[in-house]
Amino acid sequence: MKTLYLKLKGRMMMPIIFLLLFGLAFYFDSLTNIYHGYLNILRSPSVLISDYLEIGGLGATLFNVATIMLINIIMLHQLKLKMTGPIFAGLLTIAGFSFFGKNIFNTIPIYIGIYLYARYQKLEFKSFIIVVLFSTGISPIVSFLIFGTGWSYWIGVPAGFLVGIITGFVLPALSAHTIRFHKGYNLYNIGFAMGILSMLYAAMLTTMFDFDLFTFGGDTNEAFHFELLLLTVVMSSVFIIGGYLANPAVFKKYPKLMRRTGRAVSDFIRDEGNDISMVNVGVMGLVSVVFIVVLGIRINGAVMGGILTVMGFGAFGKHPANSIPVMLGATIWFLLVPIVTGEEASVGLAIAILFVTAISPIAGRFGIVFGIFAGFVHIVITPFTYTFQGGFDLYNNGFAAGFVAALLVPIFEFLKKDVLEEEEV
Amino acid sequence: MKHIEVKIISKIIRELSHFLITHGFKNFQIETNIESKVTYFKITLDDLKPPLLEKMKERISRERELEVETYGWELLGDTDEKNELDVLGLLIDKIEFQKIGEKTRITLSRESRYKD
Repeated sequence: MKTLYLKLKGRMMMPIIFLLLFGLAFYFDSLTNIYHGYLNILRSPSVLISDYLEIGGLGATLFNVATIMLINIIMLHQLKLKMTGPIFAGLLTIAGFSFFGKNIFNTIPIYIGIYLYARYQKLEFKSFIIVVLFSTGISPIVSFLIFGTGWSYWIGVPAGFLVGIITGFVLPALSAHTIRFHKGYNLYNIGFAMGILSMLYAAMLTTMFDFDLFTFGGDTNEAFHFELLLLTVVMSSVFIIGGYLANPAVFKKYPKLMRRTGRAVSDFIRDEGNDISMVNVGVMGLVSVVFIVVLGIRINGAVMGGILTVMGFGAFGKHPANSIPVMLGATIWFLLVPIVTGEEASVGLAIAILFVTAISPIAGRFGIVFGIFAGFVHIVITPFTYTFQGGFDLYNNGFAAGFVAALLVPIFEFLKKDVLEEEEV
Repeated sequence: MKHIEVKIISKIIRELSHFLITHGFKNFQIETNIESKVTYFKITLDDLKPPLLEKMKERISRERELEVETYGWELLGDTDEKNELDVLGLLIDKIEFQKIGEKTRITLSRESRYKD
């Protein structure tokens, strides 16, 4: 029993999460429903926001999430990679976005592209594992070219796979470069890199082929709100209990972790330990639940994706002290929208409440007030970046966060008359 | 030597200089020896206080992680915080400290894993 627990701890409870999601798929739906729903998911153009709960149902969506997680867990095992902060964040992000855009079909070409890049660089594939795990945020370009263009499969399938492979091939170099643009203050750096690529694809498809990119997606399904809220609470509890069992004095380590800015590359598992990282992951899940419940947000596939991503980055830069200020900043505009525009806040704005935590290192570095301001700016910019990139970059908030960080960090540094503050060792 | 290795070595030198200047060192030398497979950075300091020595040991004496290196090496050298040694530590294979009279010599070594 102790050996089993130690193995689970070393893998940050991921096998439990996988089994939970896989088992629930068959608890909520029949095999036939899952089969048909899963086919619908695979055939969907998958651009933002394609809620797989609407397209395939809860069972098929959970099956999609669990299978993609399993494939990536097996890949990590085969590559003999240990669980680090970025790898954990990558796994939960993959799980999250498998609720609205990622499936086994549209992610494979991108992995192949990164593999070819590694061969070209004469490096091991596992050297690019961080990019690999986050790369599939741009997978809708593959699905769109195959299922969204109206082209015959003889053209669409090769075009989709070729563009997917090219995307994977250029992504490692591009993402290494873009991290300088925001100086590591955008935790979804690869989302920013993919946003730039998506912008290019969107421009080409609209100007050269006259496609309307915004005819797909948009219908979301909030019917499973309660089930998914409960699932989040259960998963959060698994992590917190797991951390506590690993070290009953784990909470004493929390103040030190929360003093960290969270700026990339902050690997909490390596630097602070599995125990406190697990607790932080669970707490971040509960923080998300509190915002969702208080603001009356109904959970759909996209919101669930946001929750899992926030939890994942609980091991790679996010904690309550740097995340809550930016979430509060985003909340201000979310609450003002009905007053200012007379319309309900969109799903895009609702998920931005969670994904705004991409810029949590800004609050970690400059403090609460600057963090709140940055969160407000982020949520205002997000809808515009979506139209730039055409919905091919699932990490639209990462694309927006890159601009927000690049814009605000130099100004904040100037305003603070920066006195090179040192983190506590 | 691969271009990326050239860029990383240059950034390590810049990062080390930045770290030392922000910690108040006015006189220091960074001697760099680029050999076929390994690059050595030798820093000689007049008055290295024990707390700073310990901090450098802790932050740099970490297992090198190529997967983090390929992702985040561009952050090196552009730092605005003293804690940037975290990233540096991921790019260095080995660190050694040697006391020579009043001076301290720190030797960092980095093996190139990028093949031509």
